[in-house]
Amino acid sequence: MDFSHYAPLWGEALLTVLAVLIVLLGSLMKNSGKLMGYLSAAGLIAALGLVGSNLMIAKPTLFFFDTISVDALSQFFKVVFLVVSLLVVIASLSKYTGKGADEYFALLLFATVGMMVVASSIDLITLFVGFELASLSTYALAAFDKSRKNLEAAMKYFIFGSVSSAFMLFGFSLLYGMAGSTKLTVIASATIANFGPAALIALLFVIAGFAFKMALVPFHMWAPDTYEGAPPLVSAMLAAGSKKMGFAAAFRVLLVALMALRMEWYLAFAILAAITMTLGNLAACWQNNVRRILAYSSIAQAGYIAIGFVVVGKAYGLAPTTAFNGIPISPAQLGLAGALLLILGHALMKTGAFIGTAQVASMVSKNDANDPDDISNYAGLVSRAPVTALCMLIFMFALAGIPPTAGYFGKFVLFSSAIYSGLVWLAVLAILNSALSLVYYLRIISYMFLKEPAGPKMAEPKGYVVALVLTTIAVLYIGLFPQAFFDWAVQAAAVLLPQ
Amino acid sequence: MIPLELYILLASIMFTIGLYGLVTQKNGVKLMMCIELLLNSANINLVAFSAYQPNVNGQVFALFSIALAAAEAGVGFAIMIALYRLYGTIDLDTIKAMRW
Repeated sequence: MDFSHYAPLWGEALLTVLAVLIVLLGSLMKNSGKLMGYLSAAGLIAALGLVGSNLMIAKPTLFFFDTISVDALSQFFKVVFLVVSLLVVIASLSKYTGKGADEYFALLLFATVGMMVVASSIDLITLFVGFELASLSTYALAAFDKSRKNLEAAMKYFIFGSVSSAFMLFGFSLLYGMAGSTKLTVIASATIANFGPAALIALLFVIAGFAFKMALVPFHMWAPDTYEGAPPLVSAMLAAGSKKMGFAAAFRVLLVALMALRMEWYLAFAILAAITMTLGNLAACWQNNVRRILAYSSIAQAGYIAIGFVVVGKAYGLAPTTAFNGIPISPAQLGLAGALLLILGHALMKTGAFIGTAQVASMVSKNDANDPDDISNYAGLVSRAPVTALCMLIFMFALAGIPPTAGYFGKFVLFSSAIYSGLVWLAVLAILNSALSLVYYLRIISYMFLKEPAGPKMAEPKGYVVALVLTTIAVLYIGLFPQAFFDWAVQAAAVLLPQ
Repeated sequence: MIPLELYILLASIMFTIGLYGLVTQKNGVKLMMCIELLLNSANINLVAFSAYQPNVNGQVFALFSIALAAAEAGVGFAIMIALYRLYGTIDLDTIKAMRW
């Protein structure tokens, strides 16, 4: 048999085989943690190369009876997931070396494959299976260190995650009932809007299911506890990977299958986005635990990204503007491209910030028993762990949206698209929120740079330093040379929103 | 043939019972039973719709979701057992190190 036409999917195939291999080898060999870590890193780099070789795929290529589509959008998300996973694996090389490390890396790879499947799915069944593969792996990862906090975090994540999948599945079952097919394009052409209330109920269930994963208020209750309690490197994977998977799925389902109901979901997302960013930022100001601050900031960022849905729903069909570089681009496309850029930027910044907290926790927990993520442990970090402190400084500025960083550029495109599509109130609210978010970011920075050191200088594990420096370079590079990334995001947006 | 509405009614009732249980129960295993109710109500929907459609996509979807629900129960019980070993209880009201 000839498998050469499956070439665009070799990245997923490689990672799946590697993950199974790691489980097998890990059970046969003793003390293989380090080797497994290097194997996973090599596999992820190879998968990144395979996905990258089909990066600018011109026309969507369909596989497996039109259930998997490889197009610019799927490749964009796959690169985000692979980069996040690679950074987490590099950082984990310094932490997970002993017994059980093989399971840790295998679960990380399975979660990555699940997210990649979701990014490519154009059928409800594959979407659900990919979603569950990623979720089940991350439930287990969240409990990995088996401390009291880990298990509480995993339990909350598991209960809320399963309920959200059940909501999603119920919504999918109603969509199938109305359209008679699980294919997104068939559902789109089935004029679901004619079903009236049934269509709205299906929409409600689907949005609720996705919003749990995206951690939009009021579906966010699990997120702060889980991000605080899970192992820090797993929190990085959850905030940067798993959450973005929710967005990938929501873009596919809402913008393709349920485009006919856009007047309904645009309003729902306008309210969700406004509440989410305001509540996320306000709640973050009161926290003393740095990972909890990052969790609430992650909720607020999800609120910003959700503006993308509002812009697309509101501005769909509006005439293109030439305000951006003279190339005609419609406001809806601009909104989706902005959301994608912010997803890319936020994935990098949040991975970096959580790896930074992992570094601080690893320095502190050896000495005393108090909460390793408490902000008092960050006092004078610049003289205790200079590389970590400097990288954290860049991430905090990037998260607040200060140029020239990836965070600034994504926000700039997204907020301007909101203004072009007549959503000035939302853009103003988002900018005010960005200003408010400076309160807690500057608080962390002032602890790191202005306070007296809380202890002596500490060794910085190599894996963390490499991951932090790589992330910092990526965040700054996107901020300094945004043109190529902007073009890429516009091309990805054009998959769902042709001119 | 039983009308489609009755199937959807049964599924909705099951879903509501599951949700009610999730809100009122404190025991981890009972919560997992409620989650199973939610998932299975969706499966009833899928199979019932499929019987009235020319294709069997819905039944295939239901099979996939049953398999995934089993995997989910596996992971869930593993977490609950680990919780029980550490806390000596799976009454989720007593497990609250983190709030706000």
